[in-house]
Amino acid sequence: MKNLFKPESIKIFLGLLTFFLIIKLLWFVVQVTWLSALDIDQAEDQSSKSLYYRVKLTPNNIAAPQKVVPKETKQIVGSIKEIKLLAIYNATDIAVVTVEYRNKSEVLGSGDKINGFTLEGAGSNFAMFSKDDKNYKVLLAKNAKAKLNKSSIKGVPITNSKVKAKKVLGEVTNEGSAKIIDRSLLEHYADNMDDIYKNIGIAEIKEGKDLKGFKINFVRKDSPFSKLGIRRNDVIKSINGQEITSYNAAFGVYKNIKNIDNLSLVIMRGKEEMELEYEIN
Amino acid sequence: MQMVKKSVLIFLMLWFAILLFMPKAELYYTIEKSLAKQDIKLNEKSIEEGLFSLTLKDVTVYVKGIALANIEELDFFTLLFYSSLEVNNLKVDEALHAKVPAATKEASFTHSVLTPFSVSIDANGSFGAIEGKVNIVNKDVRIDFVEVGDIGMIQSLLTKDEKGWFYEKSF
Repeated sequence: MKNLFKPESIKIFLGLLTFFLIIKLLWFVVQVTWLSALDIDQAEDQSSKSLYYRVKLTPNNIAAPQKVVPKETKQIVGSIKEIKLLAIYNATDIAVVTVEYRNKSEVLGSGDKINGFTLEGAGSNFAMFSKDDKNYKVLLAKNAKAKLNKSSIKGVPITNSKVKAKKVLGEVTNEGSAKIIDRSLLEHYADNMDDIYKNIGIAEIKEGKDLKGFKINFVRKDSPFSKLGIRRNDVIKSINGQEITSYNAAFGVYKNIKNIDNLSLVIMRGKEEMELEYEIN
Repeated sequence: MQMVKKSVLIFLMLWFAILLFMPKAELYYTIEKSLAKQDIKLNEKSIEEGLFSLTLKDVTVYVKGIALANIEELDFFTLLFYSSLEVNNLKVDEALHAKVPAATKEASFTHSVLTPFSVSIDANGSFGAIEGKVNIVNKDVRIDFVEVGDIGMIQSLLTKDEKGWFYEKSF
C-alpha cells in the first residue's frame, strides 16, 4: 500500500505542531500567572443631576458693582496749575511770557525755568512748557489783565500722556439680599486654573480608596473666594445641583462655569448643611 | 552548514510563534492595570489584534475620572527587535488648551535593538513638528522642535538655542 504522505513529512508536521503547542502553552501560563484578562474601563458618569432652577433676585441683569482701581499718575498737572500765564510777547527768535507763580509775577524767556517747568515757546494765546520730556500747554488767562485772580489756566499735558484704560477687577459683592459675582471674575478663573489654587486649597476626602468629596483646606484672606463666604474645613457637597463626589463632576462644573447665570453651593460646615447662593452678572 | 540552516529555521519559527501566540490584548490589559494605579484609564471602542500589532480605536484617556483627551487610533506594533507605538489624532479637552497643545496629528514612539537604551519620538500637530529621544539609562529626554507652531502655552518649559526651541528634562 502506498502512503499518502511521506512519514518524514508527517514527522516534521507533528514536530511543528508540538513546537507551536509548547509556545502557546507557555504564553498561556504567562497569561494566567501574570497578565490581566480584564479590560479596565472608566465607568461613564451615569449619576443623574437634579433639576436646578433659581429665580434671580436682582432686577434687569444689573451689572455687578465693579471695583475700579485708579491709575496711579504722577502729580504733574497740579504743579503746572500753579503757573498762570498773564502776558505773552512772541518774537521770531524768542518768546517772553509773564506768569504768576505763588502770587508773584515773573518774566520768563525761552529756556527759563519756573517750578521745574522750562519755557519752550509761545503761541498767540498760550505758552509751552516742558518737564520730564513732557510738554504742557498753558493757556493765557481769560481777562488776564482785569481778573488776574479769577483766571483759570489749565495745564494740559499734550504729549506722552496716553491714559491707560482703567483696570476693572471683577468682584463678589453684596447687593441687598443677593450676592453677586462679576462674570469677568468667573471668566478669569475659567481661563487661569492656576490662579484658583493660589487663593483656595482643596483636598480630597477619601474613605479607603474611594473618593467621597472635597474639602476646603485654606481660603486666602481678601480673595474673591473668601468673599463667597466659604471657609476652611467646609466640605463641598454640590454645585448647582451637581453632587461633587468625583473629579469628573468637579471638572464638569469647572468646564461650564463660564455659561452659568447662578451659582449655588451646598456645603457642610461642621454638622450643619448650608446653601450659598450667588448671581452672576 | 545543515546545522546552521536548521538553527536559523528553529530561531525563525520560535520568533514567529512567540509573536503569533502573544496574548496582545492581555498584555494591553496589564498595562491598563498599571496605569489605573496612577488614576489613568483608557476607554476604547474596539481592540483589534493583528499578527504583529494591536490597534485600539477611539480611545478616551481619563485622568482621575476626567476625560482629558481623545485618540482616534492607537497602534502597537512589534517584531520584538523593533517596536513602535503610533498615535493618530490626539485631541485634548478644551479646558486644557491653555496648558497643552490642542491637537497632535501623528506621534510615533519607536524602539529598536540597534539603540536598545533609547526610544525615539516623532510627532506633529498644532505645536509644529518635534523629534526627540528618551534615554532610558541616563534617564533624560530631549525633544527638538523642527517646526514651530502654537507653542505659547508650553514656551515656559522650553529653551532656545541656535538650532531652535527644545525641551530637556531628566527623570
